[in-house]
Amino acid sequence: MAVSVRQRFENLLRRVPVGVDGVARVGTRQIYILPTRTGLMFGSVLLVMLLGSLNYQNNLGLLFTFFFASVGLIAMHHAWFNLLGLAVQARSGSPVFAGETVTVEIRLRAEGRRARHDIQVRKDQRTALPVHVPGGTQRLVSFGLPATRRGLQRIADLTIETHHPMQLFRAWCYVATDATILVYPAPARHAPDPVHDAGDARRPNRSGGEGADDYLGSRNYRHGDSPRQIDWKAFARERGLVVKQFGGDQGQDVWIDWSRLATPDPERRLSLLTRQVLDVSASGVRFGLRLPGTTEGLSQGATHVQRCLTRLALFDHAQTTTLPRH
Amino acid sequence: MRKQPLCPVTESPDAKQVLALSLLVLATGLPLVRYLHWQINAFLLLLFVVRLFGLRWRMAIPGAWLRVLLTLAGTANCLYANHTLVGQDGGTALFVTMLALKLLELNTRRDLRLTAILTGFLIVIQFLFDQSLPLTIYLGAMAVGAVALLVDLNGGLGDARLRSTLRVAVSLSLQALPLTLALFVLFPRLTTPLWSLGLDSEQGTLGMSDSMEPGAISELVVNGELAFRVRFDSTPPHSDQLYWRGPVLWEMDGRRWSPGSVTLPADGADNPKLEQFANPIAYEIVLEPTHKTWLFALDMPVTAPDDASINRDFQLLSRQPVNSAKRYRVRSALDYRTAEPSASLRQQALQLPDNITPRMRGLVADWRSHADSDWALVQQGLAFFNRESFHYTLLPPKLGKNPADEFLFETRSGFCEHYASSFALLMRIAGIPARIVLGYLGAETNRIGGYQMVWQSDAHAWVEVLIAGRGWVRVDPTAAVDPSRIDNRSATRLLGAASPVRFSLDQASAVSQFVRSLRLLADTLDATWQNWVLDFSAADQFALLDRLGLGDFEYGLAVLMVLAVSLTLSVILLALMRDRSTPEPLDALYARFCQRLAAAGLPRRETEGSSDFGHRVMRQRPDLTAAVSRFLALYLPARFGSHPRPATIRLLALQLLGFHPKSAKRNA
Repeated sequence: MAVSVRQRFENLLRRVPVGVDGVARVGTRQIYILPTRTGLMFGSVLLVMLLGSLNYQNNLGLLFTFFFASVGLIAMHHAWFNLLGLAVQARSGSPVFAGETVTVEIRLRAEGRRARHDIQVRKDQRTALPVHVPGGTQRLVSFGLPATRRGLQRIADLTIETHHPMQLFRAWCYVATDATILVYPAPARHAPDPVHDAGDARRPNRSGGEGADDYLGSRNYRHGDSPRQIDWKAFARERGLVVKQFGGDQGQDVWIDWSRLATPDPERRLSLLTRQVLDVSASGVRFGLRLPGTTEGLSQGATHVQRCLTRLALFDHAQTTTLPRH
Repeated sequence: MRKQPLCPVTESPDAKQVLALSLLVLATGLPLVRYLHWQINAFLLLLFVVRLFGLRWRMAIPGAWLRVLLTLAGTANCLYANHTLVGQDGGTALFVTMLALKLLELNTRRDLRLTAILTGFLIVIQFLFDQSLPLTIYLGAMAVGAVALLVDLNGGLGDARLRSTLRVAVSLSLQALPLTLALFVLFPRLTTPLWSLGLDSEQGTLGMSDSMEPGAISELVVNGELAFRVRFDSTPPHSDQLYWRGPVLWEMDGRRWSPGSVTLPADGADNPKLEQFANPIAYEIVLEPTHKTWLFALDMPVTAPDDASINRDFQLLSRQPVNSAKRYRVRSALDYRTAEPSASLRQQALQLPDNITPRMRGLVADWRSHADSDWALVQQGLAFFNRESFHYTLLPPKLGKNPADEFLFETRSGFCEHYASSFALLMRIAGIPARIVLGYLGAETNRIGGYQMVWQSDAHAWVEVLIAGRGWVRVDPTAAVDPSRIDNRSATRLLGAASPVRFSLDQASAVSQFVRSLRLLADTLDATWQNWVLDFSAADQFALLDRLGLGDFEYGLAVLMVLAVSLTLSVILLALMRDRSTPEPLDALYARFCQRLAAAGLPRRETEGSSDFGHRVMRQRPDLTAAVSRFLALYLPARFGSHPRPATIRLLALQLLGFHPKSAKRNA
């Protein structure tokens, strides 16, 4: 119940929408402002000053009380103005494994000539150090968020806040960023060796395209590579020892297969698969990934690894989602 | 909304902020030292010294237990010095002590903020003691300082911390000024205090007292303070008519004149009557605080202001003691005839002390033998003072047991009190009812402000005698001895008590003339201050409402205040919204560069970049190649690089100074 009330309340909050250019510009109706504890203290001291001056009919006391009150009022508007028109753009860094920390980069831009002071970016309880953005320039604020669950995580609401100029008021707004973090499943510590290519009924029929002498690319020489694979021409050109990779030449292809694992917990299975992908890709053989309902064909290289990891990250709710481009 | 998490990195104050705050509190509290007990000041000094040492050596700052002890000691100190912790003096001492103690406990920025905010309170408290314009200006600067400190405590202003902090603080303060003004004028005032004021009424009762003891003081302290200001509706009367009436003294005990303990007979004398009067003149007085109920008016007041009355002695009395400057309007008649007093009052005015000497009686008997009427006898008396070798001096010798006798026959030098006292006694001996009137004589014209000033040093005493058929008649024996005393020779004031009284302004040097006009200017400023700021009251607000036609509207003031404040705020906000601010110097220079070329017939096209434009100019006008390429060589890297260095800006500006291309046609 409490959760739903909170949810409903949060839906009521106005958020700064992201424009077509991917930048959220803080508008007039999305800024919230409330006095801080310092502000309340300031207010109560002013109240005492006002009552005292009125009672003693002391005009100079009143004059100064009104001066401080006016400064407070003006400061409130300055706090508001400090956020107004600020351009915020959030970008997530490269994907991470669950349990690691994802770095979010927030680009704050003061459009126009007005400088912005004391801008703080906050996400939940994490706060970045306040920055000053001179007029017409931008500043990059980055802070780490914990990646807790695998999948495509939206950063969702960021809070941009300021206490400028006297910390009497806190003005803030919620920025609904469209930045997402791709979180791979946390790799298990150990995983059983994946199945090497044997006569499997479900194995797609190898024919045509992926011939034995498909040139896949080059990689640096590793201990144990056959001298026949070494690109001697490259060596003669003083490029060092480079090994030519051919599709069929690695001997066995590897299939990493969901159904081969016996672990009942699907998340645990995914993390075992992740470990297998990492292990196999390190050994440099061609591999493919089979998940219920989807298959990633045999291939090699960093891009392939990423695609496999992405499949794992988005598994279960990825049926309708196309792969993000990298 | 959400609770703020602690930010330990930004929340600990740095030493500079602590120093700035300590100095701010010190500077703000400094003017108050004049009014605090010396023990309080000593304790404050101790705390400040500890604070300043603590900046260098953290060990010097006392720990929590010691601070508790210091707090107790400070409270005890206040209690010992003022015998109370409340009221104006007691409360102020306690507050200042606690604020100074707080300086020893500045662990977080919150502490600093609280202290900076309380500095505002320290400012306001001081106006209970002193409301002068210079102090206000000084404390205004302190207020801006407190704002600046709060701005710095928030931080986040980027580089050039001091400069940007000051800029933000000053712009905040300037923007706050119109709002302050609107609030000040329109915020509804109280007409009566909410709670007892507890003002210390014994302070500052310089000036007039309600008794007179000639010869007790051997030196009249010439008090250079202002008594009141007068603005006449029409031409001011001549200065020898300016007798400002104050308390009336009836009873003489041989040394000392006092109002006497006359109880009024219930014969309606409570409503004093002038049987006849002519030439009433109207004027307005702004009286400096006296803490007494006396209001001064010209002889004789005809109408009293609403909150005052005229007593049987024709003295104007306010219902409330005048604790702050008071403005009132009076009408007085310069020519008048008072009604005959009752027989009992007449008897009062003939009371004699028991130290009347035979030679005094002899003197009066001698006059009586030469006079055929009471009035002729009065003239005899005045002639006596004029004829004999009486001296007017502000430094009279001290008189002994029988001051009147000693003065009349031995010392023969003194000032108004001596003359008035002895004259009144002599008249009473002769059987003519006489009484003493205290007040002020004369006024100094302030041409700059268009009003008259009456100083404490204009204090005067004169005599009223009762003449059959004429009522009470004013007689000024001092004028008989020294007519210059009633001339407006106010230059004496500049010179202090010890200087000769017969100082003529005509002989004054240009310097003293200059000093005098400076003083007049200062007083005009002071009067304006008094009039427009210190005296501004609920009455003025209602007058303002009336003028605006909102007088009948009950909440007119509040509504008007809300309107005015919102209007002022929106004007300020619109100004802020315009996002004006001067263009970047680099852009300004480039704009000027393009302007000059446009004037020479080479306007830049909308779509043209600076580099393309330059190349086109050089193609079209090869004679400008050197100048244009030199400019662009500096401008382009500055434009498209990072921040331009100030040196580059200066160089570019220098180049533009000599860059005045002529139109191509004239060249050809």
